[in-house]
Amino acid sequence: MNVGTVESRIRAWAEKRRLPEAHLVRWLALAQEDRAALLETAERLRLRTGQFVTALELLEEIALRDGESIAGVLARSEIRRILEGTGSAPGRAHSLVEQLRVARFPRLKRTIERLRTEIVGLALPPGIRVVLPVDLGSDELRIEIRANGGAELERLICAIDRHAAGLRRIAEMLGGADEV
Amino acid sequence: MKFELDVVLIEERCRSSALAARLASAVAPEVEVRYVPDGRESARPLAGERDPFAAAKRRLVVMERRAPFLMGCPAGSAEFACCGYLVLVTASNCPMDCSYCFLQEYVADNPGLQVYANYAAAFDELERLGRSAPGRSFRVGTGELADSLAFDTLTAISRDLVEYFAQRENLLLELKTKTDEVGNLLTMDPCGRTLVSWTLSPTRVYESSEHRTAPPAARIEAARGVLEAGYKVGFHLDPLIAYPEAEHDYGELIENLFDVIPPQRISFVSMGGLRMTPALRAVARRRFPGDPMLLAGEEVLGRDGRMRSFTPLRMRLFASIRARIERRAPKMPLYLCMESASAYERVFGATPATPAALGERLVGR
Repeated sequence: MNVGTVESRIRAWAEKRRLPEAHLVRWLALAQEDRAALLETAERLRLRTGQFVTALELLEEIALRDGESIAGVLARSEIRRILEGTGSAPGRAHSLVEQLRVARFPRLKRTIERLRTEIVGLALPPGIRVVLPVDLGSDELRIEIRANGGAELERLICAIDRHAAGLRRIAEMLGGADEV
Repeated sequence: MKFELDVVLIEERCRSSALAARLASAVAPEVEVRYVPDGRESARPLAGERDPFAAAKRRLVVMERRAPFLMGCPAGSAEFACCGYLVLVTASNCPMDCSYCFLQEYVADNPGLQVYANYAAAFDELERLGRSAPGRSFRVGTGELADSLAFDTLTAISRDLVEYFAQRENLLLELKTKTDEVGNLLTMDPCGRTLVSWTLSPTRVYESSEHRTAPPAARIEAARGVLEAGYKVGFHLDPLIAYPEAEHDYGELIENLFDVIPPQRISFVSMGGLRMTPALRAVARRRFPGDPMLLAGEEVLGRDGRMRSFTPLRMRLFASIRARIERRAPKMPLYLCMESASAYERVFGATPATPAALGERLVGR
């Protein structure tokens, strides 16, 4: 793609989406292949402004941490699948941001997956909900009970008691007692 | 002195101070020395600089401190299991430039390097502290808002401090540094009342993030030197950065340390995870856009408004380092910095002591 064409298309996209100037400057400061790859992504998935800003930040951080270019990150197979997929553009835009989060926080995502698998494995009855801290930013495990009437409440409390060992294991995992 | 200065600004009211005289005669001839009416103005960020914080690190202001010298550790909080550390502010800001440094946010409004010519007034505050709680011991350090030894070849403040503390039974001085500038210390007898501590990081973190500091091996070698001269030594593994190879690298660092310094002669080792407010992180990312260590630990926002590695990852790294240390030094006093009581319990399997009790334990060894 011609350098001048890319820049004029970036400026047009930014104007249409009312992208704040600071983000436009960051975009234009990227290497030629990075800004072109980002433009292709933004146009193809019809990213909203907020999604674009989030994606740009995640891409910059992944690229720096992994010693790769932004174009290289966008060329990864899991990202290409989303870019070239057949679903709706808004749906794929959402998937892109989610996939970038996975790439930015791979160990966090794996740990959350393991914890969720453990929770599902407990097969707790409806009415009991195990809530993990947001982004595992603390070690607090919350257990919510929703009951209508004393009998149901008692039944749910008994269920928690029966699953105490499993719940304890999840609490320990939150404190690092597992491979991360 | 390894740090380059452009100018030394001496506040008029400090013109005849011993510190001003020492500095004026010790700085390199190409460094301009000027007198200014108010050092506080000179310490402010300069307009028009692309990176005012970096520019301020080349401007040393000798001035009078108007606020008390002694304060509680700024990292201390009821939310955390703290160590009872007290801070003696003899200087502010640091000529080194670690990309994660909290001073980038903490002293952003007055980033000029400051040394306080009236630091002897701190001794009155220390006298009052010592008398305030007979029977208690206090650990007092100068390395929180500045590196304790970075300018010591110019200022020689350490000599007066070491001499003062040498005569105090219930006060322990901690000089915290990332340098190997221990020349002045080697000429003094601390009488067991001064501890020199080093922040240690693996080479990978040092090379990526700890700009203009001494290499880890040089810090450990300097520690060996002061130990032989009669000082106590301690080490801060802080900030721990939970990058993917961290467990291996910190383990290797600990082995290297214990190969040079016998663990039974180390007073304590502290651990603290990298933590940054979002504002600090933004400043650090802007100033050091190419430092991957600022992103390597998968930091997320916690309840106290700081970003740290997500909890299981951080706890696991603490536990792994603890195990590595205790393999060779089962009785090593260890503590966590800026972590909650529940984190302390997870890592050590016990309820944390009160700040006063932990402080006493660290002073006593």
